Amino acid sequence: MRRQNLSAFIEGALMIGIATILSFIKVFQAPYGGSVTLGSMVPIILYSVRHGAAKGVLAGTVYGLLQLVIEPYIVHPAQVILDYPLAFGLLGLAGLFGGRIYLGIPAGILGRFLSHLLSGVIFFASYAPEGMNALVYSAIYNGSYLLPELVISLLAVRFVLYRFIRKNEGSGDSG
Amino acid sequence: MREITIGQYIPGNSVIHRLDPRTKILITFAFMVLLFVIDDFTGYAFPAVFIIVASLLSGISLKYMIRGLRPLVVIILLTFVLNLFMIKGRVIYEVGPLDITYEGLHQGVFMVLRLVMLIVGTSLLTLTTSPITLTDGIESLLKPFSRVGVPAHELAMMMTIALRFIPTLMEETDKIMKAQMARGADFSSGNIVKRAKSLVPLLVPLFISAFRRADDLAMAMESRCYRGGENRTRMKQLRMTYADLVAFIATGLLAAGSLASRFIW
Repeated sequence: MRRQNLSAFIEGALMIGIATILSFIKVFQAPYGGSVTLGSMVPIILYSVRHGAAKGVLAGTVYGLLQLVIEPYIVHPAQVILDYPLAFGLLGLAGLFGGRIYLGIPAGILGRFLSHLLSGVIFFASYAPEGMNALVYSAIYNGSYLLPELVISLLAVRFVLYRFIRKNEGSGDSG
Repeated sequence: MREITIGQYIPGNSVIHRLDPRTKILITFAFMVLLFVIDDFTGYAFPAVFIIVASLLSGISLKYMIRGLRPLVVIILLTFVLNLFMIKGRVIYEVGPLDITYEGLHQGVFMVLRLVMLIVGTSLLTLTTSPITLTDGIESLLKPFSRVGVPAHELAMMMTIALRFIPTLMEETDKIMKAQMARGADFSSGNIVKRAKSLVPLLVPLFISAFRRADDLAMAMESRCYRGGENRTRMKQLRMTYADLVAFIATGLLAAGSLASRFIW
């Protein structure tokens, strides 16, 4: 593993650490899992923008697994995958657009939303009787906490953490 | 070093605690799938007994595990109510415009049992296995997939470092907060917007120090000749023992029993 690479992986690990700490600060907790936090997705998103989508997806997946280990919310075998490693892994899509955060951040959170959406549909399909519009319920439910989270993430990156988008900054002494 | 516990792990030295993490992960998955395959009440007797035996062996009381259901009460109730009212069939009770049917009651109780056993059964994994051990297990289980490009070692390495540094970063956050408070920062008053704004001077130093720490750590690892997962040895090897074999056999019997019960009754 080359030095540049190793340093990037470790930066990812520390971003996951910050994300986990921020995820403890809950602004609003939705009743069936999922919550509005103090921008806990920002470190992962920022990391994806700095190092590209591939590393971002890896960091997101690790963050998801960590969430699963720390605060499991398990109701279905497929839901475990969809709500944790996959949902958070898709946050890494934020890195697809280079430094264009107004495309990247919504893309990452949309990825996470779609994964939770599918998980919600599966949940309804396996627990609720037929005849419910699972897609709409799941969309409203997951949107209810991801939309505020999107706004928080955009504001945090735009006004606070913009300086870290370029890779060479942040690690120097100029901070 | 100050220990900050994250996760739900309850330290112990029971048979269940000492099982290989891979065994526990695989059995938990099998258990989850099994709960969805069983389709009658008699079949559910088997996983119920399984949970009770595992809880006795682990030394973690069933009461404690059931307390873990609390955050999920809403979803359990919702599942029950939805099934109760929305399934058509023989009406046994009328509540205004809504009918409670025999089939609905049957289905509602069945779904709630499934959900409760799923939650309690899976919580046994995180209650008896520390996050670090779980990470080792995940790495080992993912290793065969590294051939098709799954970065198993990198994933586990990141997870371990993250777990190791969460307490450190928390301490750091605390320190920065105190430093800013000494300069007159106010974190605890005002409305939500004001309080969010007050966190700005917290986030920036936190990120800067994390980036710096990452650089230092990478250099330290390099100097000690870290070069990725290949041919890497470990101090604590994961080893399957007879206890793991017994656990797998017990799970096999559980599956066979609960699936066979539908033919017997």
